[in-house]
Amino acid sequence: MLKTRIIPCLDVIKNKVVKGVNFKNIKVMGNAVEMARYYSLSGADELCMLDINASYQNRKTFIKTVEAIAKVINIPLTVGGGVSVLSDITDLLNAGADKVSINSAAVKNPKLIRQASLKHGSQCIVVAIDGKRHENKMKVVVKGGREMTKKELIVWAKQVQSLGAGEILMTSMDTDGVQNGFDSSMLKKVTSNVSIPVIASGGVGNLEHFYLGHLTKSTGLLAASVFHSGKYKIQSVKKYLKKKGVPVRL
Amino acid sequence: MKQKVIGLIDGQSGNIGSINKAIKEIIKGRPYQLKIIRGEFDYSLFNKIILPGQGAYTTLISNLKKLKIYKPLKTYLENNCSYLGICVGMQILSDHGYEEKTTRGLGIIAGEIKKFKSKKLIIPHMGWNSIRLNKEDPIITNNFDNKDFYFVHSYIFQNIKKSNVLANTHYGKKFPSIVKKGNIYGVQFHPEKSHKYGLNLIKNYILKS
Repeated sequence: MLKTRIIPCLDVIKNKVVKGVNFKNIKVMGNAVEMARYYSLSGADELCMLDINASYQNRKTFIKTVEAIAKVINIPLTVGGGVSVLSDITDLLNAGADKVSINSAAVKNPKLIRQASLKHGSQCIVVAIDGKRHENKMKVVVKGGREMTKKELIVWAKQVQSLGAGEILMTSMDTDGVQNGFDSSMLKKVTSNVSIPVIASGGVGNLEHFYLGHLTKSTGLLAASVFHSGKYKIQSVKKYLKKKGVPVRL
Repeated sequence: MKQKVIGLIDGQSGNIGSINKAIKEIIKGRPYQLKIIRGEFDYSLFNKIILPGQGAYTTLISNLKKLKIYKPLKTYLENNCSYLGICVGMQILSDHGYEEKTTRGLGIIAGEIKKFKSKKLIIPHMGWNSIRLNKEDPIITNNFDNKDFYFVHSYIFQNIKKSNVLANTHYGKKFPSIVKKGNIYGVQFHPEKSHKYGLNLIKNYILKS
């Protein structure tokens, strides 16, 4: 039976995992390579790392960090942040990423999804979508939620699937960072409209939230703070889910 | 003592970094050497060949032909020499692949590669799933039964002889996750991404098979 994936997410600047709201009050949580190694050993099913400050200067160090992480883990690695052209995807895959996630660039230029999936295969192209409610509609937002687009969330989700995305990383900007749980209604809406895997992101604060995330039919559950702060170990989340009847890899 | 030579084929179908790293760790301090195959090669120089692959069947076959790897690989396999194909590297052992178009495979293990059919299934089959052993084999000792491995694929081996199936996995229906004929192995999952059991499988293939 296919297991629900528990995916720690590392927000990275250069080689440090950070936590910060809108680039303010950025707090260093630890060394990215060390944290990646730890999560791989302690039962993470996959790792996600995002370059949250993909400036030209920082990028080189970030790519080196991807290379270093790929060397110390033996679980799949998804890398995103700052991906704007096809060569960015190639660079990250060559650095050792198994999948690359595209966000704003895909919204700006949807053809990039098709080009990327034709070149590298759908299995390694993840489209990250940030959703937010606006006037009773679910819309796509970009630039970390600061910029509203005209795209309707569900229309976009279906479109990225038909363009060849292998997976959707779905973050609700209405719940992200608040730790009150995933955005169940948004996630259900997305999973019931696409047939590719969906990773739920944004809002985990306690164990029950993981279970509620699973109920949205998302096959991957992504979390950052609850793991980085040490509030939960990966294995304790999995043991809890197993008790609730959710298939997990222990 | 003469060193055994392991060939790792770079068919430009996904990254060979992880598998390269895994093999190096396994053979460290042992009488083996690793050579990356990127073009025409003399198959008689290799004791084992590993071919990892991602993406499309058609692409891998045409890459191998372009790189002039196809012919010596086919001869190598027709001589029943030791091989481990990963994901698409397994799939191309079949007679045909039906992806965007029908492509002729290496024709080593009878059967064909077709898409998962059910409309209810989330495709690709992506994530950790368990394998059930059909029989014992040096590369999968008993304790591999029911263990999870990392899969990512939309196509499966069909119309394969049961005697060529070492392990099955269930996703919507049962499909072959490890195949074998003579000295030739194929795994649908990615052992190089499958943590300790995945690494053990590669280790068993190299040291015990």
